[in-house]
Amino acid sequence: MFAKTVVSKAVPYALGYWQKMTIGLWLLACGCFMLADTEVIALEPWSELGHMLLGVLQPDFFATEYLLEALWQTVSFALLGVCAGLLWGAPLALVYHKPWVAAFCAFIRAIHEIFWALLFLQLFGLSPVTGILAIALPFGATFARVFHDIISLAPADTGQNLPAGTDMLSRYVFGRIVHVSGQLQAYIRYRFECALRSSAVLGFVGMPTLGFYLESAFKQGQYHQGGALLILFVLLIGSISYWCRARLLPLYLLLALVFLPELPAIDGHLIWRFLSQDIWPPMLQGVSHLEQLDLQRLNALGSWLFTLLEKQALPGIFATLILALVALAMTHVLTLLWLPLVSRKLRGKWTVFGGKAMLLVLRSLPEYLLAFVLMLLLGPSMLPAMLALALHNAALLIFLTTRQSDKLVVSAQFSPKLDNYFYEILPRLYPGVMALLFYRFEVILRETAIFGMLGIATLGFYIDSQFVEIRFAGALVLMCFTAMMNIGVDALGRKILKGQKVPLLGC
Amino acid sequence: MILAGVDFRLRRGERVAILGPSGTGKSTLVQHLYQRLKSEAALCAQSQGLVEGLSLYHNIYMGALARHNSVYNLFNLLYPFKKNRLEVTELCRQLELDSPLATQVGRLSGGQRQRVALGRALYQEQPVFIGDEPFSALDPAMGQRLLELVFSRHATVVMVLHDKQLALNNFDRILGLKAGRVAFDLPSAEVDAAMLAEFYTGMEAPPRITPHDPLPLHG
Repeated sequence: MFAKTVVSKAVPYALGYWQKMTIGLWLLACGCFMLADTEVIALEPWSELGHMLLGVLQPDFFATEYLLEALWQTVSFALLGVCAGLLWGAPLALVYHKPWVAAFCAFIRAIHEIFWALLFLQLFGLSPVTGILAIALPFGATFARVFHDIISLAPADTGQNLPAGTDMLSRYVFGRIVHVSGQLQAYIRYRFECALRSSAVLGFVGMPTLGFYLESAFKQGQYHQGGALLILFVLLIGSISYWCRARLLPLYLLLALVFLPELPAIDGHLIWRFLSQDIWPPMLQGVSHLEQLDLQRLNALGSWLFTLLEKQALPGIFATLILALVALAMTHVLTLLWLPLVSRKLRGKWTVFGGKAMLLVLRSLPEYLLAFVLMLLLGPSMLPAMLALALHNAALLIFLTTRQSDKLVVSAQFSPKLDNYFYEILPRLYPGVMALLFYRFEVILRETAIFGMLGIATLGFYIDSQFVEIRFAGALVLMCFTAMMNIGVDALGRKILKGQKVPLLGC
Repeated sequence: MILAGVDFRLRRGERVAILGPSGTGKSTLVQHLYQRLKSEAALCAQSQGLVEGLSLYHNIYMGALARHNSVYNLFNLLYPFKKNRLEVTELCRQLELDSPLATQVGRLSGGQRQRVALGRALYQEQPVFIGDEPFSALDPAMGQRLLELVFSRHATVVMVLHDKQLALNNFDRILGLKAGRVAFDLPSAEVDAAMLAEFYTGMEAPPRITPHDPLPLHG
């Protein structure tokens, strides 16, 4: 007996969660791309680029006596910054479930290291304290969040089996933290790499790290010197696993403390003046009693705030969001295209090695430099910034994902072809990739800040100009807007990803 | 969760074995008992709750957490004190665990892991021992030896077992649980193998096999 063959009616195919998400992201990014200023202005940059390339190919390691010092300062700021961040961030992880702690950390985290540095520059001048605090604050807030997330995933059954009467701290350490100590260590190591990059970038605002010498070398056209600095920096990051050993860390820390540049005396008077005068809006400076707050002053304050909002905050937020969204979608596409090229399941050993070397270079270079070079090629618009963000983040995403993909076990009929890759490997990696991508969005938003320094009208641009014009009140208000935007986006992201298991490595 | 049909009283110095088919609430009863006796009982649960990345030593040491303050415990995590090391070494010898103390628990076999979990419960040094199939991954002879070890260190013992013979030979009292109810609660002298065989098989209607059904592969 055969069943009757039934030709089924075409049932509409319901798109899955990730398909909807992917298509939605691409459509949104296309819309944003239309609104963005992405005009390519061909600049005849070839001779300049040729010089740059020559500089990287023939680096001059002896051009400056500051080379080693700059390198050491970069490492030392990063090390001290991460340690200070751990000191205040790790304990907060224990109380991170309280909404006000989470909000406080989100606020601190949302403001880029560069802005913290600009702020502390006013207080402490070009002191190491400025650099270390600028790293320690946002990094500590990130540690608090990620440690909390990692620890909350630790299995609970050990805690249930501990003897009754165990004190709170022992219960916490033996029941939870020991389960995830490996993950915590890996995350700290990874964040140290981020801190090295941040430390280098702080040079762009004048701290004596690699970025300072890089920027001046590139601005003065001394590409042989710049090339040497770049190569050293990439090597420094690429070789972290060789020189950054747990046993050596105390030694490094000691050295960093001993060889810290001299701390200039902190001028209490200056700090007081800054807090009592400089950071207040112009119409409130000199107001010492509440009675002096008359209607006229309040009116002036209102219109000052309104102008700031209308002329700077809103256009800045708009540009920042557009830039970040397009960069996010570009990162996504680039990751999907690039991932199969460095997969051990698909390619030979040497192709993968070459691909990974390129990934290392791209993820080591601060986005600022990538954008700087791309701007020479494509002219001043948002496009170089988008590409720089996409290249850097895709490189990082692929780096984190390949470690997972190379461990996957494939079926017997797997053959190293793209089709098999997309059907067998990608679907298993995709939720992880997407979660990482959305996690990176917060970082992309923050990073748009530094493109402000290159003249792209993101919020960072307006904040930077306020600092340059010594209008600290305006800068502070804009920084608050930046933080609120980031918190809002973060909350939205959590809502979208609700119920999806988010892997915890991110930056 | 409290089992509705269970009225269970434990007397000090008694050795009680709990028997019953899977899913009848043995673990629930044992957990409930532990909640009641927490301050003087050590629990060796079926979910061993071992920490994979930690050493054999530390996993057993966890039994002593309540005896020390947190500073002592944290120091011990970084570097084991000699006193505890000697105690755990002796315990390991009795448990027939011959791997070095520093071995990561993730590398141990199923039987070894079960003995580590047992070691942690013993190291709590409580008067009452509550075990939930603590020997299920061990051979019967070793189970017998370790049961004697448990008896030598605890006056009162309550244990869920699946090895009927082990229960009959060693315990004072046997509690049979079925479908969340006490089927019998007797001194072990009054329980025999035949009665137990009926207890385990007689609980369900015999499986109905019609000629057209495929034969069950494993019964």
